[in-house]
Amino acid sequence: MNNVTQIVQKVHQAPWRVQRQWVVLFLLGLVIIAMVAGVYLNITVRATLAGREVQMLLNPSLINPYPDSQPNSIATNQRINSELEMQLADLTSVESMRKRAEAMGYQDASPDDMIFVAVPGYVEPSSVDLSNPGSSHTAAPIILPEYTESWFDYFLNQQTASPSSGGQP
Amino acid sequence: MKRVSNGWRFLTIAAVMALMGIAILVQIFRVQGSPEVAGVIDQGNMVWKDFYPPRGEIYDRNGNLLAGNKTVYEIDLDLTANPDLPTVKLALQMSGIDLNEVNYRISQEPATAKFITLADFVPADKTDILINLQKKAHGDPSGKNLDAIYFKAHFARSYPENDLASNVLGFVAQDNHGYMGVEEKYDNILAGIPVRLLVPADPRRVTEYPNIPPGQTIILTIDREIQASIEQILDQALTSTGAASGTIVVMDPLTGDVLAMSSTPRMNLNDYQSISTIFPGETPFNRAISQAYEPGSVLKILTMSGALDSNTVQPDTVFFDPGYIVVGGNRIEDWNGLPWGYQDMTGCLANSLNVCLAHVSTLMGNDLFYSYMQRFGLGHATGIDLAQETSGHLKLPGDSDWYPVDLGTNAFGQGVSATPIQMVMAASALANDGKMVYPHVLYAQIQDGKQIDTKTQVVGTPISASTAHTITNMLANALETESSGALIPGYRIAGKTGTAQIPLPTGGYDAVNINASFIGWGPVDDPRFIVYVWLEKPQSNKAASVVAAPIFKQVVEKLIVLMNIPPDAIRLQMAGR
Repeated sequence: MNNVTQIVQKVHQAPWRVQRQWVVLFLLGLVIIAMVAGVYLNITVRATLAGREVQMLLNPSLINPYPDSQPNSIATNQRINSELEMQLADLTSVESMRKRAEAMGYQDASPDDMIFVAVPGYVEPSSVDLSNPGSSHTAAPIILPEYTESWFDYFLNQQTASPSSGGQP
Repeated sequence: MKRVSNGWRFLTIAAVMALMGIAILVQIFRVQGSPEVAGVIDQGNMVWKDFYPPRGEIYDRNGNLLAGNKTVYEIDLDLTANPDLPTVKLALQMSGIDLNEVNYRISQEPATAKFITLADFVPADKTDILINLQKKAHGDPSGKNLDAIYFKAHFARSYPENDLASNVLGFVAQDNHGYMGVEEKYDNILAGIPVRLLVPADPRRVTEYPNIPPGQTIILTIDREIQASIEQILDQALTSTGAASGTIVVMDPLTGDVLAMSSTPRMNLNDYQSISTIFPGETPFNRAISQAYEPGSVLKILTMSGALDSNTVQPDTVFFDPGYIVVGGNRIEDWNGLPWGYQDMTGCLANSLNVCLAHVSTLMGNDLFYSYMQRFGLGHATGIDLAQETSGHLKLPGDSDWYPVDLGTNAFGQGVSATPIQMVMAASALANDGKMVYPHVLYAQIQDGKQIDTKTQVVGTPISASTAHTITNMLANALETESSGALIPGYRIAGKTGTAQIPLPTGGYDAVNINASFIGWGPVDDPRFIVYVWLEKPQSNKAASVVAAPIFKQVVEKLIVLMNIPPDAIRLQMAGR
């Protein structure tokens, strides 16, 4: 009882303590809000930047007087790849190959020129396969899960992912 | 006292920070709530975007590119930038761009237009020149720069082999649609359809962008090397025989894979605008599938197959050929109009005796004969996966245009029409143990990065396996008996010539011109190919054994090399190990 009385008396004797507590509480709240806002802002900015980057990559129709100055979008890369494929196809076309072969002194083989040799274990080349290597993995999401998952999922994934990832220097 | 003075300092700081926080919040709400900002946000919320997914590529069975995509440019002009039009036109002219088209496009634009397209499908080399001119003129103090010109890159179809396999491939026009051949038949899976969509401008909503699927890549059964070889042989044949047109088809009789297919004329697919010049009037784009004709004696192999399969005759059945036969009140003669005396069935085929085959078909009777012709697919399109296929015509008893004499004439390929691909499909039953396979050019398609191969389809079994072996051996013996120009040393081949009269639109037959055909397959004991040759109206000679059989031989000699087919003796020796 005496203790309680003493405390009440001290508080009454020092009102600045109450004021300091309020200030500290207020600042604490402000710091928490600032932290949450900071994290939110950070995530939003990163998501926006990533989205903008994706937008640039998806940009289907660049209209620009100086195409060289543009970052390569997916469409641009597709065009570059197609151009290279076409160049390769031109270089290896029947007409080009025939001209080169003739210039090197080759001529068409006739059945009489053929010599067949039995090679044990020889397997004829299999048919053409143009499927993508590891094509079963092509469905992987383009955007990292951090940008789409909830806070709860994010922390849960961090917790579950971090212990198992260690072990290698 | 000292602590009390600290208290008001803290209070002051807290108050200032709180005021700053409130001020920031007020400012945020004020900015976001202002009508100007709200308008900008609404305006930029959704934007129109053009998507140009690339068209699927076409490869041959060995992975060689037959049809791809190249970059071309749309050249636009921003009129709001007050461009100097004469300077712009001069630059376009210097770049090699057709000014007539430019002027036409400008004339079609309304006077209020702010952004006009000057040219489209401009090749990269011309665009590069224009870009360089634009860079040089940039910042010109006289104001005569080219800064108002904009470039929009997009795809256009390109064919690196030019006219190779053009009859099979077809082409893609500027409307991004395929015409003829594979391009038309598989347009729906090859085409990545350009679309214009309203998409959110907010980068955070990028996941809402639609997935525009690109066109699927396809692989054809065509072998580029074989295709190039038969085209070369066909071109030489036309020159040497003076034929009006030619067709060669090569198919794997076990799978139905069309290894090569060519007819004349062909066109450079990169210059498809010339189609009306190269294919005037009703000239078929691909005669192998689009032009039915009376095949003549090559059809005798189907008649004899049906007769053998139905036990109407046996290979050693003897027939006395007086040189003519009367069917339905009409006299039918052999090709030389002379009597051939006693002939067995192999002799009938070797000497291509019309009278003998007409006799055989009359022995079979209407029901049996036409039943076999229908089983072989005559009168019906094969369904080959190429656009513009026609079905030919098989008259049947009861039809208004059928007469009793047709039973006799149809037996040797007169009065019945078929396309080369129909004949090849029918003959596949003879080469493939009685199983008739569906001819196709699609080897596989690439879907989501995975290759889906086309499976072999048997469309019918018109004859038994033993009949198929019997007729094949008869035809091989017939070739050897007549010392045919189609024979290849070391390889046993089955085949049949066909010299057919050409019906006139006014009735009767052309007294001068003929169709020369040859169908054959081999090696007899393990067929790897079936080849069909057709020359229309050859002038150097009027016998298929003289003009068509040597072409067949040339094709087979190429196939032996390109398909690595050892001579029979070596092959059997290797198989016996």
